Amino acid sequence: MFHWLEQKPFFFAVVLFLTIAFAGIIEVIPDFAKQSQPTVGTKPYTTLELAGRHVYIKDSCNACHSQLIRPFKSETDRYGMYSLSGEYAYDRPFLWGSKRTGPDLMRVGNYRTTDWHENHMMNPASVVPGTVMPAYPHMFTNIADIETAYAEAYTVKAVFGVPYDAEGMPKLGTLEEAQADAMAQAKLIAADMKNQSVKDAVANGQVPEIVALIAYLNSLK
Amino acid sequence: MKSMVIGGIILIVALMAGTYFVAGDAFQSDDYINSLTMLGALAIIVITVFTVLKYVNQIKNDTASGELADENWDGIGEYTNPIPSGWGLIFIGSIIWMLWYFFVGYPTNQFSQIGQYNEEVLENNAKFKAAWENPTDETLVAMGESVFLVQCAPCHGVDAEGIAGKAQDLTHRMSKEQVLDVIKNGSQGLGYPMGAMPPMMAQGADAEAIATYVAGGLKGEAPASFAACSSCHGADGKGMNGMAPNLVDYDNTLMSKVLENGKKSSIGEMPSFKGRLNETQEKALTSFLNSIKAGE
Repeated sequence: MFHWLEQKPFFFAVVLFLTIAFAGIIEVIPDFAKQSQPTVGTKPYTTLELAGRHVYIKDSCNACHSQLIRPFKSETDRYGMYSLSGEYAYDRPFLWGSKRTGPDLMRVGNYRTTDWHENHMMNPASVVPGTVMPAYPHMFTNIADIETAYAEAYTVKAVFGVPYDAEGMPKLGTLEEAQADAMAQAKLIAADMKNQSVKDAVANGQVPEIVALIAYLNSLK
Repeated sequence: MKSMVIGGIILIVALMAGTYFVAGDAFQSDDYINSLTMLGALAIIVITVFTVLKYVNQIKNDTASGELADENWDGIGEYTNPIPSGWGLIFIGSIIWMLWYFFVGYPTNQFSQIGQYNEEVLENNAKFKAAWENPTDETLVAMGESVFLVQCAPCHGVDAEGIAGKAQDLTHRMSKEQVLDVIKNGSQGLGYPMGAMPPMMAQGADAEAIATYVAGGLKGEAPASFAACSSCHGADGKGMNGMAPNLVDYDNTLMSKVLENGKKSSIGEMPSFKGRLNETQEKALTSFLNSIKAGE
């Protein structure tokens, strides 16, 4: 029946590809579109949290820490509720990670606090004996890049329709407004911190990387 | 043909001899498993050699026959022979198996990863409940220690002493500084029936006297100013059966209130651990803390 087709290898390959691709598309796309809708309560990151996310990516935290809790009892006992696809709707890129040298951080905001992160990032071994995590003291002096974070937020809002400024969602506004909001959020975090140079920097209108990173980590819930 | 059969037999003998030469020691013991293995190896070699011989022979001597199909590719054609019956049976069998798999064994959309997770949780909870229905004190302390090491030690330290002031020292109830801080600033948010504690219940020397007395574990004569505390915390400081926080020990009520609501104090903030531990585990934590209480 199909002998005529077998004699046309290129045409045959194209038809084969189209057949398999079509099957793949109708199998994958509808479910994927459904699963990737934001879950109720998932919000885009504020400017400060995005700046902290940039620090997280820059210092390759995702090389050792995953952000994906699998549905196993052993895992949900330790890290909390398993992850849903919709929770990553505003993660660009997602930071699932592929290796757990350190623990998962998907919901670290639920069980660690600002002052714990402060102690831990300055000297991890001081709170977790025997840890292999290196210290990140440079985060206490480097200044976070709020403008780039704003640029990213503005871009995803304009291009992908991320619901900034919508009702019940984080405010973005103009660059000046976003910077003011980021400073206000940074002040709240600095108030819970003990490091004097960080507190001074925030009082002077600068946001050290550690403050942005803690804002990001606290937002992971 | 004959020379090939002789060659095959020589190969078999050589392989068996080589094996015996290398691993012959293994046949000296009473254990027959090595001899069985050797027999198996012999069978595999014999079957392999004679199967190869059969097909080599076929390649050498067989001539193709049958009707050619219409098409050919650059002179290479194909016979219209029927497919081998064994192959055909396996093909039909796999179609039947596919239908069984699809409609009976693992029907479409019937598997759920989350369903599997829920079953795992239920099974685990049932197992936990059955195993620790009436735990002894030692069991509670041991369970409390393992829960502590996983959930609490990252902040309170493996020795529960709070890592040099970074978190509450759980081997003591409260230090004098902490009592003074609570008297000065009040305390709220633990959700006790008595409600929030107002700031400035006592001042100056009175506050000092209370702080020394409470930090010392409420031993000896209570200072007169302690009357301001005892109206809620009780004359013995034990919180009047869960109406207000116990000032002497970590008790079950205090444990579950702090785990549920978290705690903000002069040291820093402890997050809520709501829903992370079950009742037995919370009790176990209390037992563990009381077992490591300093000075007792």
